[in-house]
Amino acid sequence: MMGVSDGAQDDAGDGLIFRWWHILIAAIGVLLLGLVLFVTVQPIQVLPRMTLAPGFLLTDQDGEKFTSEDVRGVLTLYNFTYTHCGADCAETGSVMRAIQERVREIDTGGVPLRLVTVSFDPERDDPETLRTWAEAQGADPALWRVATGDPAQLKAMIGGGFNIYYSQNEDGSFTFDPAFALVDGNSIMRMKYKTATPDPEIVARDIGLVVSEVRNSSGATKIAYEAAHLFVCYPP
Amino acid sequence: MKRALPFLVGALVVLIVAGVALGAFLWTRPPELHGTLLQTDESPRDFPMTSVDGSSSTLADLRGKWVLLYFGYTFCPDVCPTTLADLQQMKRLLGDKAEDLRVAMVTLDPERDTPERLQQYLSAFDPSFVGFWGEAPQVQEAATRFGVFFEKNEVEGASGYLVDHTSIVSVLDPEGRLRYVFPYGVKGADMASDMQWLMD
Repeated sequence: MMGVSDGAQDDAGDGLIFRWWHILIAAIGVLLLGLVLFVTVQPIQVLPRMTLAPGFLLTDQDGEKFTSEDVRGVLTLYNFTYTHCGADCAETGSVMRAIQERVREIDTGGVPLRLVTVSFDPERDDPETLRTWAEAQGADPALWRVATGDPAQLKAMIGGGFNIYYSQNEDGSFTFDPAFALVDGNSIMRMKYKTATPDPEIVARDIGLVVSEVRNSSGATKIAYEAAHLFVCYPP
Repeated sequence: MKRALPFLVGALVVLIVAGVALGAFLWTRPPELHGTLLQTDESPRDFPMTSVDGSSSTLADLRGKWVLLYFGYTFCPDVCPTTLADLQQMKRLLGDKAEDLRVAMVTLDPERDTPERLQQYLSAFDPSFVGFWGEAPQVQEAATRFGVFFEKNEVEGASGYLVDHTSIVSVLDPEGRLRYVFPYGVKGADMASDMQWLMD
């Protein structure tokens, strides 16, 4: 009887210990499972905070001063071209136009959004030429701004800041790497599309991700967004 | 009990893995931050300007320490002294840890800010603050690349003109990579808190 009694006490004692272990393991397991699910399922996706976008002082199609401070607090999609590019750049213009139409459908919830085309040909692209080009592209002046500036500053901005190569040829044309760049309201570059023809749906998706982060990243949700950055929850 | 042994060992392994994963998560989890943490592994940044105390000929000479870089000018009436005072307070609050960082300011007004004037101005905040002076094109390029717009604006009065400019503080890690950006208006105590976390 004594032996049975001892065994019963041992079992009871082990059972008590196991219950605590079980609770601890279960709690950590749940947390771990939550973490794994968060990273794999990615209920929150973000775009990386790539680098600081350059500062600039340009002149737009209306001859107005246009600076990087004017787009502080504004989600901005940039592309880079020149109006005399002709047929080689026709696709870029039509893609920007398609993006303009697509972003009109996005509910930004008050987060301001702009499209900006920067010309690296200030010699020929004066405000009037830029305005004519913008009208031909169907640019909505309230949404899409076209601008250029001093050659040295353009080189520092586009070449140095956005890290996009361009060079003028002897015949006046330009050789350049086509690219679009999405910059958030804190002047942080969030995405760079190294193509002349990014998919407007992908661009719209990315704009939506930044808009969601701006709108929802506060209080406890902010930690979830920071975790999404920490665990590289980026879209494919 | 014997039958429970494999379960226990398995559970312990899960426990250890989970503990390590959670510990890593909690340890690396950012606290409340007051600036923006950048994530990409971009190349180290540099510019060829001379420090006014003669200690550095490029920004790269400051590598090995965290660098808090600001663009301003000595005639600046409000924004620059406020930011430099915050940086001064941050440095004081960090105590010995501040030995691992340098505060540097590039003048956006090389015309009026002689190296002597810039050195004197910065020393009034903290003798360790480093001033960088360059020719106008060098300043333009460096400012643009560090996200700073600036423009002269003529005003009435003795100063003749002011320089409108972006007022952010860029943080470079000891390898010279841009890692963090403080927007304008972050107080010294908050800067110290963020830098403490960044430097740990």
